[in-house]
Amino acid sequence: MTTTKSILIIEDDRFIGEMYVRSLRKADYDVDWMVDGNDGLVAARNKPYDAILLDVMLPERRGSDILQALRGNGEDLIPNTRVLVLTNFEQDDESRAAMQQNADAYLIKAEITPRKLLAILSDLFS
Amino acid sequence: MAVKKQKPAPVSLIMEYIPKLQRRMLLTIILPGILIGLACALLLVTSETAQPDNYIFWVVWIGVTILSMASNLLLFVYTSSPTGDLMRAIARVSGESSSGPLPNPHDKKYIKSGLSAALQAVYNLDSQQSKKAATSPDELGAASSSVLHSLDRMHGSLITLDADHNVVYASKASPLYTVDGKLQPQLLFNAHDTLLSWLEECEASAVKAEHSWHRIPNKPADQEDQRIFDVYASYEKGAAHETVLTLVDQTTLYQGDEEDLNFIAFAAHELRGPITVIRGYLDVLEDELSDVLEADQRELFHRLTVSANRLSSYINNILNTSRYDRRHLNITLSPDSLSEIYATINDDMMLRATSQNRMLSVTIPDTLPEIAAERASLSEVIGNLIDNAIKYSNEGGVINVTAEQKGDFVDIIVEDHGIGMPGSVVNNLFQKFYRSHRSRETVAGSGIGLYISKAIVESHGGTISVRSTEGEGSTFVASIPTYASVAEKLANAGNSNLDLISQGKGWIKNHSMYRG
Repeated sequence: MTTTKSILIIEDDRFIGEMYVRSLRKADYDVDWMVDGNDGLVAARNKPYDAILLDVMLPERRGSDILQALRGNGEDLIPNTRVLVLTNFEQDDESRAAMQQNADAYLIKAEITPRKLLAILSDLFS
Repeated sequence: MAVKKQKPAPVSLIMEYIPKLQRRMLLTIILPGILIGLACALLLVTSETAQPDNYIFWVVWIGVTILSMASNLLLFVYTSSPTGDLMRAIARVSGESSSGPLPNPHDKKYIKSGLSAALQAVYNLDSQQSKKAATSPDELGAASSSVLHSLDRMHGSLITLDADHNVVYASKASPLYTVDGKLQPQLLFNAHDTLLSWLEECEASAVKAEHSWHRIPNKPADQEDQRIFDVYASYEKGAAHETVLTLVDQTTLYQGDEEDLNFIAFAAHELRGPITVIRGYLDVLEDELSDVLEADQRELFHRLTVSANRLSSYINNILNTSRYDRRHLNITLSPDSLSEIYATINDDMMLRATSQNRMLSVTIPDTLPEIAAERASLSEVIGNLIDNAIKYSNEGGVINVTAEQKGDFVDIIVEDHGIGMPGSVVNNLFQKFYRSHRSRETVAGSGIGLYISKAIVESHGGTISVRSTEGEGSTFVASIPTYASVAEKLANAGNSNLDLISQGKGWIKNHSMYRG
């Protein structure tokens, strides 16, 4: 890895958020963490992250709405960013399909341990 | 009172009988009168009582003749009166016009003479005849329309299909939708037992057959106006309505169960939060403590990880089962390599096997053709099969996982050398909550792992089977179609398993019936 990759985590659960932050920082990623949807969207617009870990059920603004705002209107505001949707609640088919369309990965949180997440990220960046 | 129905007039009029009778009676009265008069005259002459030149002769002869005619006339009038009344009644109920009032059976004179009962009988016969007429062939149109109206009021519904599976008749409440311009019953059957698969079976080998399905919804639970039916089908080869479906609406009865399934799904989702944290932190800690942990402590960590992973798989099984039972199991198939799919669960599987003292040997060649798979679901199936093999094999037992191509399918083979099963168990193995008598006593489990594995494999357009020998072990084989063999169908269906399913292998929520 030549440069440090920057990652935005939008996750309201403190335990899960801290878990990602801790393991990603240990793996030398530059990590920002937002706990609500509005702050998350502002951060995503203001800084060109290499990847965003996006929760779906969020206070203020849902993950699907954030994705819609960033990529859904026929214009990709974050063309150089990989978006990984992380959720434990599978959505109904329609919104799942829409999110899969605009996301680079759609993952079940309970299945993605930090080690697996690091493997997926290095895969995406390679 | 119902309107009297117009009937065609009889060719020979009933009321013409009366004048004919009168004419005949007149002849039979006059002729005997004359004959009796002549006989009397002959008697008078031969007995020399009176001669024609004697006025007594003429008085007696004329008197006898007139008296006999008059008495016969009286007799005729007396006896023909009830006949006339009966004729008038019969003429009237036959729709023939007749003069004079309709004889009333309650009239005193008829009651007194005893004719009342006969008249009443004529009218009764007429009213019975009128009732029958309602269903006679010329009234069939009206009758069948009233039957159809009644069917439309049914709580359930009736659908009939012709030999090409086209809907011929469907009562008003029938759940229907259109596929490719063809009207079809809108029923979400379970993957392995659909109306179509049954009909194909019937067409191949039956003249008459009956079948029933229970708890069949017309739409997924989250759609409005979902109804749940018990479906009874009757097939008769060659009949105009070859298949008759009777749908009994059991929505109220089954909706309670649906709520339970929703609750189970909700509860299982809730469990995922803490599981994420437990698995994640174990992962982080194991990594951070790797330098300081003793070997036995590391083993304890493995056990924690294995247990958390198993809990997570179990929650996935519950969620998938509840989705499958609610017809929500929608699978998106993509080209994927079996060895790569297995690689995502290899660490977990190896850890599970070693922590329970089993030897897991996996040989999946990279050279196998790509299969049409949803990675997460299929890795759950492989995990379930390996988990099962671990459960039902002995300490130190070897479990072999291999894969090979068989025509248009790739077989995933999971073989153990454990306790095996008798045939009676094998037959029920893939049923929900099934646990053999013996395993209930000796091995923990819920009996949904194989049920959901079968559902997932069939939703891939594949099959799952098992052979087993008691005391020697079991071999499970999951056959998944190669991507090349189904690529065209998948492309048409936007990579959902829709078309695979239309072959009677499963269902898909995102069916065309839900689009506009």
